[in-house]
Amino acid sequence: MSGEILEIRHLSKAFGSHVVLRDIDFTVRPGDVTSIIGASGSGKSTLLRCINLLETPTSGEIVFHGKDVTGKDVKETEYRSKVGMVFQSFNLFNNMTVLDNCMVGQVKVLKKSKEEARENAMKYLDRVGMAPYIKAKPRQISGGQKQRVAIARALAMEPEVLLFDEPTSALDPEMVGEVLEVMRGLADDGMTMLVVTHEMAFARDVSNSVVFMSDGVICEQGDPKEVFANPKQQRTREFLARFSKG
Amino acid sequence: MQRLLELGQDMALLWQNYSAGYLSGIKNTLILAVVATIIGCVIGLICGVLNTIPYTKNDPLPKRFILKLIRAVVRVYVEVFRGTPMVLQAVFIYYGLPYFTYNTVQWPSVWAASILVVSINTGAYMAESVRGGIISIDPGQTEGAKAIGMNHVQTMTSVVLPQALRNIMPQIGNNFIINIKDTSVMFIITFTEFFAFHRYITGVNNMYFPSATIEMNLLVPAAHARAADGRLRQL
Repeated sequence: MSGEILEIRHLSKAFGSHVVLRDIDFTVRPGDVTSIIGASGSGKSTLLRCINLLETPTSGEIVFHGKDVTGKDVKETEYRSKVGMVFQSFNLFNNMTVLDNCMVGQVKVLKKSKEEARENAMKYLDRVGMAPYIKAKPRQISGGQKQRVAIARALAMEPEVLLFDEPTSALDPEMVGEVLEVMRGLADDGMTMLVVTHEMAFARDVSNSVVFMSDGVICEQGDPKEVFANPKQQRTREFLARFSKG
Repeated sequence: MQRLLELGQDMALLWQNYSAGYLSGIKNTLILAVVATIIGCVIGLICGVLNTIPYTKNDPLPKRFILKLIRAVVRVYVEVFRGTPMVLQAVFIYYGLPYFTYNTVQWPSVWAASILVVSINTGAYMAESVRGGIISIDPGQTEGAKAIGMNHVQTMTSVVLPQALRNIMPQIGNNFIINIKDTSVMFIITFTEFFAFHRYITGVNNMYFPSATIEMNLLVPAAHARAADGRLRQL
């Protein structure tokens, strides 16, 4: 197998005349944990949503295992089942229990049997520490718990890449910890992850690649230790200055 | 007080002679309302679901064209049948069929025509309720479903509709109550529901008020539909 799982080539996205992403290029290799950082409105989330085809890129290619998924002959649903996504606002299905949330995709999309799906769901719910809550509805559990279930739901599909769209931004500081802990564990196990985040410590210490975005372009990317210690661009320095002071 | 006693006597007299008629009038009303509400909900559900199939600029032209056409047709249907009185719709449909077929095709029965009219009318209201119910569901629910690879049909049946239908349950109850009352206009096409029977009685004698009082008393149990509606809401 070639080195890259995911390769973004010259990706651009405009909403009407408003250009949000300009000529984005980067690659993701198996086992990579890539953090995408940058100010709000710099296009980080849009980039992630484009990668999962929740937004249609205006131009450019998203190459998954050597195949451009923006092409018409690619089945979106099949691609999405291999690229998991965790949202800022959790997006758990309100009409289902925690367990059903983690089973429905396996049964409907992957066509697994209920028993198999249940077993698999339990494995991942146990892993994120939510096994005791399988009968609860999303409205009955806390934000951090919801996000952990959402991670289990994505994992249960056994994706090759997991996208995180500001997974801790809607949580209070205590809950942030429990979610980051789970994410750190996934990273240690070699899960390929692409994380849009404002958690600079996570970006620096857990990820092995960091992408800094500003105004819809990639301003700087590379090894997190390097980028955090010696940012080359003026814009990156300004952004990180606030973090290192705080 | 004296007048109330007389009213009681008049009502007793009417009831003695015509109770079967009153009861069958109410029975017809209820059957019509129940059947038409159910069919109307099915029509509304189909229209609401078809109306909310998403399309983007990147979809192939035939798909976009068909979806736009569906939306236009549903729009016209809803506007026409919500915007005109049901009494007029009844006349329009009941006499329209024989007119356009030069009397070669007649309605098989006044029941069929009545059920059709009330169903179509209810369907127009429910189409909007269902559409509203669907678009009121947080887009995040749809995105969550898409993100694990579910297609539109799976997303609708597993995630969106179960939540949307729960929200529109009160609307169904509401429409049922409205139908119990509004089916009375079907007397115009000779459907014998409670009001038609009232008109028949008052044509024979002059007891408008006692007859109306009997009808009022018989229709109050329809209020129990409200209680049923309340129970539905707790589901």
